[in-house]
Amino acid sequence: MAKVLLIEDDSETAEEITAELVDRGFEVEWSANGIDGLDKARSSRPDAMIVDRLLPGMDGLMVIEALRKDQVRTPVLVLSALGEVDDRVRGLRMGGDDYLTKPFAVVELVARIEALLRRPAESRETVLRVGPLELDLIERTAKRGDRVIELLPREFRLLEYMMQRSDQLLTRAMLLEEVWNYKFVPATNLVDVHMGRLRHKVDGPDEAPMIHNVRGAGFILRAVS
Amino acid sequence: MRQPQFIRSNTFHWALMVSGVFAVFVLVLFGFIYWQIDDYLTARSDRVITLEIEGISSLSPERRLQAIDEKLRQDPRGVQLAAIFAADGHRITGNIEGLPAGLRIDAAAQAADIVKINGNGPEHQIIRAIARHMRNGDVLVLGRNVDEAREISHVVGQALGLGLLPAFLLCLLAGAWLSVRAQKRVEEVNQRVQRIIAGDLRERLPHRNIDEPFSKLAGIVNGMLDEMETLIHALAGVGNDIAHDLRTPLTRARITLERGRTNATNLEQLQAVADKALAGIDQSLAIITALLRLAEIENSRRSASFANVPLHDMLREVCDIYEPIAENKNITLQVAATHRLTVPGDRDLLIEAVANLVDNAIKFTPEGGKVDIELLRGGAETIVRVTDTGSGVSEQEREAVLRRFYRSDKIRNTPGVGLGLNLVAAIVKLHGFRLAIHPGPGCRVEIICPDRERAKQPAPPAKEQPAS
Repeated sequence: MAKVLLIEDDSETAEEITAELVDRGFEVEWSANGIDGLDKARSSRPDAMIVDRLLPGMDGLMVIEALRKDQVRTPVLVLSALGEVDDRVRGLRMGGDDYLTKPFAVVELVARIEALLRRPAESRETVLRVGPLELDLIERTAKRGDRVIELLPREFRLLEYMMQRSDQLLTRAMLLEEVWNYKFVPATNLVDVHMGRLRHKVDGPDEAPMIHNVRGAGFILRAVS
Repeated sequence: MRQPQFIRSNTFHWALMVSGVFAVFVLVLFGFIYWQIDDYLTARSDRVITLEIEGISSLSPERRLQAIDEKLRQDPRGVQLAAIFAADGHRITGNIEGLPAGLRIDAAAQAADIVKINGNGPEHQIIRAIARHMRNGDVLVLGRNVDEAREISHVVGQALGLGLLPAFLLCLLAGAWLSVRAQKRVEEVNQRVQRIIAGDLRERLPHRNIDEPFSKLAGIVNGMLDEMETLIHALAGVGNDIAHDLRTPLTRARITLERGRTNATNLEQLQAVADKALAGIDQSLAIITALLRLAEIENSRRSASFANVPLHDMLREVCDIYEPIAENKNITLQVAATHRLTVPGDRDLLIEAVANLVDNAIKFTPEGGKVDIELLRGGAETIVRVTDTGSGVSEQEREAVLRRFYRSDKIRNTPGVGLGLNLVAAIVKLHGFRLAIHPGPGCRVEIICPDRERAKQPAPPAKEQPAS
């Protein structure tokens, strides 16, 4: 069972997040300020942390910096108000961490925590496999069983990202940020259109579906059972 | 007792001070004139009596007596004084009672205190006098009364008094008048300002069309008030729009939940209801997020960390992302970017701006239409142009979009222009670029990026600028 440390000064928000994470099978430890949070991060060694940007006692980013100095590499999800997203917050994604702007949907938060916990390991594998699906990163070819799938470059990029994170819920915002490098949510349901096309190619009419739409949340690529 | 207000006013104090200084100046001037006249007249008297004593002392004693009698007789004004005293001090002739005490003999002309004898008896006088020893031992004294000078100065003093007092009063009156006038205008301005504070936004300061500091100031303040009135009305409009936009999906969610609670008979139905309600709430949240994002961009300053953004690559990327969406609607989406052009800016924001334009263009172009993304050079400008074959933006809508407070109109409810365009405008403004929207059948929107050297200069307030 994955252990998550939540550092958040607003007790109502903290309770909601805790309840949701516990429902999803996480073990949650809560700390209401930066100093206490830093102690807990050092002593109980959580698998992931959710840190509010603005904390009494110690700024959320300072907590992370202090941990990194101690060589603690626990992945962190920073919660920030929209107006406080600066270069330091944006830089988190470069360092393998993540941030989320308030207000956010709880589904989004959980999806991102799961993504952080299951960061794809640095792999030298040049062929990705999920069930019958096979993606050759060198040849730039895709196959489902024996059927060759013709993919456009953008579709290839999307499928590669999804195969690296199979069985994980991927939200629209995550896909926009990671696959298209979009830092905003466009008015049109871009992701759905792209996903629709990819699904049409991956899941043939007689085949069991691999790309699943999770209503109101995002998409999951699953190996056919 | 309370002083009248004008007496306490600054203007009046100044007037009082100026008239005081003026009075002192006049007094000093007249003092100087008096001193000069006195000096001149004394010197002249001294010269005259010195010449006379030379003349008379050269005569024989008998002729001397005659000359003195003659001299005193021919003196209608009675200013001449002359006498001869014997060596023992008694008077031989003349109109001076005795040899004056402090008078130095055989010296230059000097002031002397004497007693004059005339028909009315002895009279004390201070005169200019000169005395000489004669060869026979007598002492000759000649003198001249210089009260003349005092008389002249008296006249001058009178003139001064007559002139100074009215001048002083005039100063005071002018001061009082000016201060009363200023007070009146301040009071008038105050009353109007009070009305503005009370909420009457159409009130303006009194303004006369003349070149006068007060009017100029009023003109400036009125200009500011005009701008503020526009902004406040615009803000109120925005508030209404936001409230309306937020209420619509929330109301829908509420109705859905209400009806679901009564009508749903199984879990599946209840879940469908919840999904529908969530969609409504998500839409409200999306509006709030967009507004916050807008505020974030508007409040951020032009960053020093701007890098050169290759526009041709960026446009291809946008096209790549939107191609499937266009294809679904059977719209041809094309990029024409032959030049490799870069502009200084924030890549993420610029891609957001262009994506919004393309998003809009696709949304409001009917099936079978065409959307073109072009990268052009014109003059010293780089232009990103998005053209569609939709219904276009009408002249009125264009005005609304390009107004200084570009969230002002109900543009978010107008087909063809969404909140996205406000974001575009904010991003464009942040970069010091211009946004141009051309009306007509088929909308043409341009982001005009002046070259860096030009961009540094403040752009003239052109009509096409959404904001300065």
